Amino acid sequence: MTSEKHPLLEKFTEQIQHCTRCGFCQAHCPVFGATGRPALNARGKMLLLKEVLAGKIELNQELVDSLFQCTTCASCATNCPSGVDVPNIIKAARQEMVGLGTCHPAFTGMNQVLDDYDNIYAEDEPEDFDRERGGKAEVVYFIGCVGQYREEDATEAALDLLDHLEVDYTLIDEVCCSGVLEDVGFSIKPALAEKNIERILATGAKTLVTGCPYCYRTFNGKEIYAPLREAGLEILHFSQFLARQNLGVSTDLKVTYHDPCDLGRHCGIYEEPRKTIKALALNFVEMPSNHANALCCGAGGGVRGAYAKNSLAMARKRLAEVEEVGADILLTECNSCVHNLANAKLRAQKFQVMTTAQFIMELLED
Amino acid sequence: MDQRDKEAIREIVGADHFSDELIDLVSYSYDSSDHDHRPDCAAYPADSEQISRIMQLANERGFAVVPRGAGTSLAGSAVPINGGVVLDMVRMNRILDIRIPDRQVVVQPGVVYADLQKALAPLGFCFPPDPASGKVCTLGGNVATNAGGIRGAKYGVTRDYVLALEVVLPDGRIMHTGTKCMKSASGLDLTRMFVGSEGVLGVITEITLKVNPMPTASRTALASFETLRQAGQAVTDIMHSGILPSVLEIMEENTIRVLRENYGADLPDVAALLLVETDGYTDAEAEYGMQKVVAAFDANQAKTVSQAKDRAEAEKLWAIRRAAGSVAGGLRPNNLSEDVTVPISKVPDLLEGIQKLMEGHKYPFVIFGHAGDGNLHPKIMFDGSDPEQVKEVHQIAEQMFKLTCGLGGTLTGEHGIGLAKAPYMRLEHEEMAMEMMRLIKLTLDPNNVLNPGKMALDE
Repeated sequence: MTSEKHPLLEKFTEQIQHCTRCGFCQAHCPVFGATGRPALNARGKMLLLKEVLAGKIELNQELVDSLFQCTTCASCATNCPSGVDVPNIIKAARQEMVGLGTCHPAFTGMNQVLDDYDNIYAEDEPEDFDRERGGKAEVVYFIGCVGQYREEDATEAALDLLDHLEVDYTLIDEVCCSGVLEDVGFSIKPALAEKNIERILATGAKTLVTGCPYCYRTFNGKEIYAPLREAGLEILHFSQFLARQNLGVSTDLKVTYHDPCDLGRHCGIYEEPRKTIKALALNFVEMPSNHANALCCGAGGGVRGAYAKNSLAMARKRLAEVEEVGADILLTECNSCVHNLANAKLRAQKFQVMTTAQFIMELLED
Repeated sequence: MDQRDKEAIREIVGADHFSDELIDLVSYSYDSSDHDHRPDCAAYPADSEQISRIMQLANERGFAVVPRGAGTSLAGSAVPINGGVVLDMVRMNRILDIRIPDRQVVVQPGVVYADLQKALAPLGFCFPPDPASGKVCTLGGNVATNAGGIRGAKYGVTRDYVLALEVVLPDGRIMHTGTKCMKSASGLDLTRMFVGSEGVLGVITEITLKVNPMPTASRTALASFETLRQAGQAVTDIMHSGILPSVLEIMEENTIRVLRENYGADLPDVAALLLVETDGYTDAEAEYGMQKVVAAFDANQAKTVSQAKDRAEAEKLWAIRRAAGSVAGGLRPNNLSEDVTVPISKVPDLLEGIQKLMEGHKYPFVIFGHAGDGNLHPKIMFDGSDPEQVKEVHQIAEQMFKLTCGLGGTLTGEHGIGLAKAPYMRLEHEEMAMEMMRLIKLTLDPNNVLNPGKMALDE
């Protein structure tokens, strides 16, 4: 059935055939959950690609709203009885489409922005957080675009906490890791990667701590960032770094935790964030979906930018679980999740949404 | 169907609830079977009134209407083989009423099975027929296909729980069948006629279901046998023992080998495994049942018997059974998964017969299923991109259906006929019964607009 027209996609021909169309992914796909539209579910996407490979339909603009509307949360793959690697198939399909000149304008725009700017928001003036940049230190704290330009309070709290813990750290003149471009059909920008690598290594740090789970994935997994790993740098997400600290605060409030997809399903980091939270919140409660089954906040894969309404609907589904367990505080370890969840929160929902660092800083200040 | 028809449907349901976009048309071309056909458009109706208007239009204009739940059919029942409009019932997804004193719930057809269970669980109740697709399938689909499940041995199938229906008939009239009473001897049983009708007689728009108090105790055990006959005799002995197990699953040697080699399951090299669960409202009740089961295992020289000490151990045994289908399915790109069913005592004959059928063929296959109600799931793995293999596997399937019917069995225990088994209807049903089915279809749907092409009714 291969048409030899789509080399990137054809690598996955057997995988796509393995989809038995059972539709079980509908129970887990956040996009389906928000829209009820099976064409947007993993099965719907696999069917489109099956027909593309069979030469029945073209990989063109008509498929964009399905193939580019995926948060890459990987809950379909986690729960697929046939073991279909949906996120990587979708990634390949998007790259194939971009190669053919077809893409969602939001992603084309994102790629262009990163040709001209150092960050995905096309911002000129980064917040400097009144901290040293590019000094020599044991630890480099890498903020990430969302923390740098959208969730500054969360970043401020993370840095205050590092100060409180007397960590020897520095910031750098960081640029976007550009890892997300691979998810939406483009490639990591070598020029950006080189700047990050050079500036991180110049600090002489032994440990690189990222505030963003996606940057963590990029530095840890992408070939272009291999020099960081080859230099012997230990790469940690902030939640892993925190799990090693003694914080000495506690709360009686009812606290729950949202697993970011990039940290949980993509990296298997479930327990370290919980270790920190459980140590300070005796009244910790899990939401109905948690760990590998956690609902996605709806922000990932560029969906927040490209399909804002559905992205917020996904976040609201997640927030409904917070209400269901009656938590006072929803903590998470991803600035992007905080951003989307906080935006989606209704006024009637009285709980607070923040990062673990923000919560710890509040407790310390009390 | 032309542009004017699409516009008329769009008008009825509203522009936001209509689609003729390619991505939706491709998605609605398929279910979980090997069949596919593109519809002309899709509509997401809000109520029976809108469906009624669409049906009237379909009769005037002569296009097909295909109701659809989660599209998990393994038989092609949801495939719009004549095109037309697919009615995705996703918006009609409300649980309308839960009346525990009456032991009843009233639901719309788009309610997901698992959502009903979730609503009933805090009340200590459940809807017992539990299809494997429970986390996604809809109750409308369950009723339309008379869905079964793993606990059929004790709790029966969907048909046993449907008390009343609201149905939009093919000509657009809205009919109410059945009763809100737990028993009724009143008139012909129209409700049952629609259960399992695969959407060819009417669009189900409201369902009144009987619910059960949820059993609170269970026991689980797994036994292995050197021969199929011993396992078969153990099933027979359990049936004689005066208890009804809530689950009685069988897995034959190929399944066991696949689970060992491809799933790492710690299983002995034997001819058959039986996985049995007994349940009840007290521990003593579940335990009493399990004692009878273990006695039947012992009397038939079970090679090993593992009894789960707690829920976690039971879960491990269940995980093995649940993995069987997908692990085997992974051996080749495609698989044929059937649900042939025979009287309980004929299960060993059917197992042996299928094994014999497969001799000399190159295809990996497994057989597992619900020995407690005679429903087996043979699964044959093949490569669907090779037309020769497709042809040969379908020939094997036909022989399997002949074997099943020869044992007094039925083509389908729970998946339905749809397109996949329509060619074999006459193996099971005599000509007069076929004629009666066609007559009923013709009476209700003279223009053959509702889910045409299914069940060999319009031949």
